[in-house]
Amino acid sequence: MRILLVEDDAEAAAFVSKGLRQAGHVVEHALDGESGLNMATSGEYDAYIVDRMLPKLDGLSLLTKRRDEGDETPALFLSALGEVDDRVSGLQAGGDDYLVKPYEFSELIARVEALGRRRAAPASVTTRYQVGDLELDLLTRTVRRAGRKIDLQPREFRLLEYLMRHARQVVTRTMLLENVWEYHFDPQTNVIDVHISRLRSKIDKDFSTPLLRTVRGAGYTLSDAD
Amino acid sequence: MLRLLRTTSFRFTVIYVLLFTTAVGVLGAVLYGATFGAAARQTEQTINTEITVLADLFATSGPGMLTRVIRQRTAWRDDGIYMLIGAPSGAVLAGNLTALPPETLTAEGNFFDFEFERPRLDAAGREQGIEQRKGRGKVVRFRASPEAAQSYLLIVARDIAAQEFLRDRVAKVIMRILYATVALGVVIGLLFSRSLLRRVEVVNKTARAIRAGDLSKRIPQSGAGDELDHLSTNLNSMLDQIERLMAGMREVSDNIAHDLRSPITRIKNRLIDAQKGDATAKEDALNATLIDTENMLDTFNALLSIARIQSGERGGAMKPIDLVAIAEEMAELYEPAAQDAGFNLVMITSPTPPVKGSRELVSQAIANFLDNALKYARGGDRIELKVEPTEIGGAVLSVSDDGPGVAEGDRDRIRERFVRLDEGRSTPGSGLGLSLVAAIARGHHADLRFEDGLPHERGEDGGRGLRVVMAFPPFDGS
Repeated sequence: MRILLVEDDAEAAAFVSKGLRQAGHVVEHALDGESGLNMATSGEYDAYIVDRMLPKLDGLSLLTKRRDEGDETPALFLSALGEVDDRVSGLQAGGDDYLVKPYEFSELIARVEALGRRRAAPASVTTRYQVGDLELDLLTRTVRRAGRKIDLQPREFRLLEYLMRHARQVVTRTMLLENVWEYHFDPQTNVIDVHISRLRSKIDKDFSTPLLRTVRGAGYTLSDAD
Repeated sequence: MLRLLRTTSFRFTVIYVLLFTTAVGVLGAVLYGATFGAAARQTEQTINTEITVLADLFATSGPGMLTRVIRQRTAWRDDGIYMLIGAPSGAVLAGNLTALPPETLTAEGNFFDFEFERPRLDAAGREQGIEQRKGRGKVVRFRASPEAAQSYLLIVARDIAAQEFLRDRVAKVIMRILYATVALGVVIGLLFSRSLLRRVEVVNKTARAIRAGDLSKRIPQSGAGDELDHLSTNLNSMLDQIERLMAGMREVSDNIAHDLRSPITRIKNRLIDAQKGDATAKEDALNATLIDTENMLDTFNALLSIARIQSGERGGAMKPIDLVAIAEEMAELYEPAAQDAGFNLVMITSPTPPVKGSRELVSQAIANFLDNALKYARGGDRIELKVEPTEIGGAVLSVSDDGPGVAEGDRDRIRERFVRLDEGRSTPGSGLGLSLVAAIARGHHADLRFEDGLPHERGEDGGRGLRVVMAFPPFDGS
């Protein structure tokens, strides 16, 4: 992916750029809002990572301007402002995701890749997902593995649906809490881990190839690749 | 004085006075015109009638008869009518006008005003010198026969001195009323402005005091309950809110200064030591520093959240929420983790009216209660999450466990910042969880209490467990 990073903290930007390049992405970096807007206007990118508080032009205005121009490039806001109202204003300005500083780098990578995936499969209404021999049908709300029906609780179904939609990508615990349960705080108890292990016991237990895997220090991934 | 003239209320008064004066002026003019116009018309009508009668008499009976009649009339009647008949020769034949007014020569056939003299009479009717009078009259000429070259002259006039006098008086009175209206308006305007200015000055004084740094100052109320009092009340409540916000910010910066200084100092010392140490020491220092910074970030975030909730910044996000639904969602999220930890998480709900709040914050509070129960209710096996209505229309949310509980003397302390009871020190955590919950409770006007939980047979302290209660006030619909 070609990523435009707009971040005024040079050290933080260098750290993020390095990490994203190691993960195989191309990163271009702007130090302030105006040059970020110029680069976004003249360049072709697969995703924007925009800090909210920037010199010259703040992140919200930058993205609002791009969206007014019809630019649909998915964008992730980085911000030290983490309250619900701030998230809402970020999403209203056209942001696709919102990450509060300080964040784990694995969290950032996972979310940026999820953004790229969203663009690769634009708005086409998918009603069936398949990973290996695991199938999920949104219309009949059924899950089968190797043709055998698996019974899931409604929340387990939503959890699996999210994982399948982001198959072969790393999905963090926070992403699951935000998207499956719609909470924006992190409980101290490992609640998500337990839900995952229950889901795993239903979809992986009787099969030789585990699909739902733990990515150490990051989260989970649903993948049939080795 | 200049300030008074520049006030809005004075400007309004000036406009008001102008309008009022105009109204009074129009009223006076109409009254004046109607009264004296009618009087003047009546005078002219009387004169015309007299002339008609006398002209008839001249035509039928001739100049001799007319002279006699005029002589008689002017001799025994003093009704303010003056007449004079002059012969073609210019001699005055009869009449009570002592001289021919000079206007007679030019004003033939028209009404004219003139001044004349007449003997002043005292109460007994004796002559006492001469007085100047004003009259209005008409002059006509008659010919004895159509072919006569010379004509007789007849003047009929009326004394209008009294009328004129009254007219001057009324005009003066109207002018005086106008002056008085203007003066009264200006004075009342100034008084109005002064009293308003005085009350506005009270507000200004308060504002200056606040700007000078005394944020506790409030605008005193006049007690009149008028719009200025409403304004003061609103300004005061705005000041309360600002003071609360600033207190919250001050508290958070104090807390940050107080609670982050020691770990930062610790990190700094450790890094200085590590600089001199070998590779293993450096590695250890790095790892320890990483853990420290993560804890510091947690503390920092929690402090910020508490401050923001406390300052009421998120009051706008409050809306009717269903506690039962929120609790059920949280129970569903925590149930597997509770089971893993050996607890049976039980939901007990009854139909409960909605309360005003934020789903996110209430969920966070419940998460905190459940985190604590899982962490501290050692030896227990049951956690009850209960939502029930109160008698006064509010709702109570509670989490009870059958763990060791908290001694009564400690129950108030656990909600304070960074307070961790001895039993809790070995477990991870910032010590800010219940402070956050306390802030959430305050933000919802809810009452946070700690009570005895589920009774059980274990433990030396009578096995009482802990029940955390958050009691929400009735939803007032606003």
